[in-house]
Amino acid sequence: MILVVAEQRGGRLSRASWETVAAAQAIAGSDPVVVAVPAAAPGNPAAEMAAASVAEVLALAHPALETYTADGYVQALSALVGERNPSLVLLPHTYQTRDFAPALAARLERALITDCTGLRREGDRVVFSRSLFQGKLAADVVAEGAAPHIASIQIGAFRADAAVRGDAPAPVRQVAAEVDPARIRQQPEEPFQETKAAVDLSQAERIVAVGRGIKGQEHLQLAGQLAKAFGAELAASRPICDAGWVPMERQIGSSGQTVAPRLYVAVGISGAIQHVVGIKGARTIVAINKDPEAPIFEVADYGIVGDLFEVVPAIIEALNAS
Amino acid sequence: MEREQLDVDILIVGAGPAGLSAALRLAQLQRAGGGEPLSIAVLEKAREAGAHLLSGAVLDPVALRELVPDFAERGAPLDAPVARDRVYLLTGAGRLPLPFTPPPLRNHGNYIISLSRFSRWLAGLAEAEGIDLFFGFAASEVLLDGDRVVGVRTGDRGIGRGGEPRATFEPGVDVRAKVTIFADGVRGNLTKQLCRRLPLMRDRDPQTFAIGLKELWEVQPDRVPPGTVIHTLGYPLRHDEFGGGFIYGMSGGQAAVGFVAGLDYEDPAFDPHAAFQRFKTHPLVSDLLRGGRMVRYGAKALPESGWYSIPQLFMDGGLIAGDAGAFLNSFRLKGIHLAMKTGMLAAEAAYDAVRAGDTSAARLESYSRAIDASFVRAELYPVRNVHQSFAWGLTAGLAYSALALVSGGWWFRRLRTEAGHERMRRLRTPPPPGAAVAPRDAVRPDRALTFDRLTNVHYSGTRHEEDQPSHLLVHTEVCHTICGEEYGHPCTRFCPAQVYEIVPSGDGTSRLQINASNCVHCKTCDIMDPYQVITWVPPEGGGGPQYDGM
Repeated sequence: MILVVAEQRGGRLSRASWETVAAAQAIAGSDPVVVAVPAAAPGNPAAEMAAASVAEVLALAHPALETYTADGYVQALSALVGERNPSLVLLPHTYQTRDFAPALAARLERALITDCTGLRREGDRVVFSRSLFQGKLAADVVAEGAAPHIASIQIGAFRADAAVRGDAPAPVRQVAAEVDPARIRQQPEEPFQETKAAVDLSQAERIVAVGRGIKGQEHLQLAGQLAKAFGAELAASRPICDAGWVPMERQIGSSGQTVAPRLYVAVGISGAIQHVVGIKGARTIVAINKDPEAPIFEVADYGIVGDLFEVVPAIIEALNAS
Repeated sequence: MEREQLDVDILIVGAGPAGLSAALRLAQLQRAGGGEPLSIAVLEKAREAGAHLLSGAVLDPVALRELVPDFAERGAPLDAPVARDRVYLLTGAGRLPLPFTPPPLRNHGNYIISLSRFSRWLAGLAEAEGIDLFFGFAASEVLLDGDRVVGVRTGDRGIGRGGEPRATFEPGVDVRAKVTIFADGVRGNLTKQLCRRLPLMRDRDPQTFAIGLKELWEVQPDRVPPGTVIHTLGYPLRHDEFGGGFIYGMSGGQAAVGFVAGLDYEDPAFDPHAAFQRFKTHPLVSDLLRGGRMVRYGAKALPESGWYSIPQLFMDGGLIAGDAGAFLNSFRLKGIHLAMKTGMLAAEAAYDAVRAGDTSAARLESYSRAIDASFVRAELYPVRNVHQSFAWGLTAGLAYSALALVSGGWWFRRLRTEAGHERMRRLRTPPPPGAAVAPRDAVRPDRALTFDRLTNVHYSGTRHEEDQPSHLLVHTEVCHTICGEEYGHPCTRFCPAQVYEIVPSGDGTSRLQINASNCVHCKTCDIMDPYQVITWVPPEGGGGPQYDGM
């Protein structure tokens, strides 16, 4: 049995949870996939998760899971794993997973392989791929020691919409999580966002990103209009964020976020390798650049060679007309 | 502000070959001497051992043999023994092999190594001896009590771009020590502070430097067999420019390809990165690399000026070792063994001083005497004028080098040097407003054999916390007023990592943009800027290149 630990916040499943389900399905074969949804009230997200073609969804409930704490999650999940004895535990490689997964692995005395970009079966072993050196090298990793091995899946490595949906909803079972609130050492404070506009671009479906070709801050509104017309988030390459024209948390690339949208529109971005490694997971890349030799066209699915100040208004007009 | 304080007996700043050899030697002395163990700590700004270390490199194992006699059994990563040496004088399309390999470039008995791997191994030995190595901690300031060095302060963490503390703010730690060994490398930021605040450079020549750029390649089988050592002179450098290329064959089908250019060139349009890329297009090099793949990139300055520019190495509570003290033999193109040996000698002096309860400059002077009595002086003194003689041009430099070989370095007088940046000449014709000075020797990158800076930088693996102040302190008035006319912004060319860019500021003028997070910590800008308005300070600990195999 493969256990997937889904992540929800405020009752909303993260898209990365679906990506992890897709990863589990890809390797499961005849092994059943079970999804656990830890929360204080996991009803809604568990019901949503039941749309997936999986053997079972476990609504892992305890009031102490209302807000995330590493101790609470480690207790709940180590008990669940001990009881269910899966062959493999998969988690989305989110910030939350990064926080508690090492402790979970240590508690269970099991191997942990983080940020995997792929996995496959070889005989009775599971071989995980991880990228090293900022994506330059891919290493194959095999866990040693007793099962279950624990692995986290890189955001964007699998596509959320590749998760197979079932013909009928999967059974949802209520499970009381074993959590002793007295043994939770963390006292979380109110969550806050560093800036009001903070977004998690890794979850965005569509992104319009601007680069140096935009020339001046005053032209950013043009990119903003394009993003609005697409219903997309606005992001930028490093020079733009460095200049302070776009907030740093919207920077994409090796020193910013790694994203995997369905549509990525690169406006005036030359496509330096530092930027391109951040959009490897994008499904469709559209590039607008006046330099036909710009490396962005090597990765773009659709390329428009032209002056963005002519091309972008035309696209906005066409989108708004349709 | 509340600062933590850590007290140790001996502090070593920098986990390069000098610092790690010092640490290991201290552990050995401790074991042999017994008694109450001394507390020893090593600070290193890289997030792991060897990550900021780059060299050619050919290792003369003389110091290693002394420090770790059973180095072979203990798995020293000596990649390949040198099997064949070649030196070529390159012209635009041709090559002239020197009829014989000059003795200083004969490498029989030496090894081709990756300095980052070698140092990681040394760090493992030191850790196994119980030495505390603190990685990811940059020493940002020397702590002085009058003229006495009492330790260092590590950099604050979690300072935002505008200088404001972020949620993760942690003030730096004061590490106080009876003796501090400064092994902070070429143009070390602490040694630079020391030389300003104490009269350590009195009667010394200014230090001069070179920049070394290097790529690691996976080459087609048998194209560059392990143990191959090729050095070149000439193309694409001009006759009056110091430097040359190197190709070293390593095991596992890898080759180190690099280029060294003196940071005392006169032409402000000179561009070391462009020269390196141009060098690779020479048939001698491109034939070897064809069908291969570049897998790593990096750059680092190296001290070239030798004996007369070595600072006073001892002070109350402090010693200087390795590249920080300019210990490099530019005649043999080697410095790792000197770094190791000076680190070991510094360890011995520090150990004796702490045990004796006297860490004054007078006591620590024994370090300088030990260097004079060792192979370090025997090797450096006879070549004391060699680098300087290249200021007269390649032919004269080679001629003097030959003379030095037979005469033991004799000349009519001591050859003086000036700091390299002072040799840069102003542009004869300033570029028209809004136009940039074209880098000399630029090639159009094909991204197979030749690369643009930014692509190269990616292969250095360099990363920094983005939300921090620039660690390159630049007085930009000069940049925005006279530099464009006088030198055409040479920082955009001598930086091998595209940290400096002149970008339009929107109102028709242009401004300097500093991409500090591209920095590979080579120190070239701190050295070569003609106005000396750039100061390199360590960024938040852990930031910087991620060299492996370099």
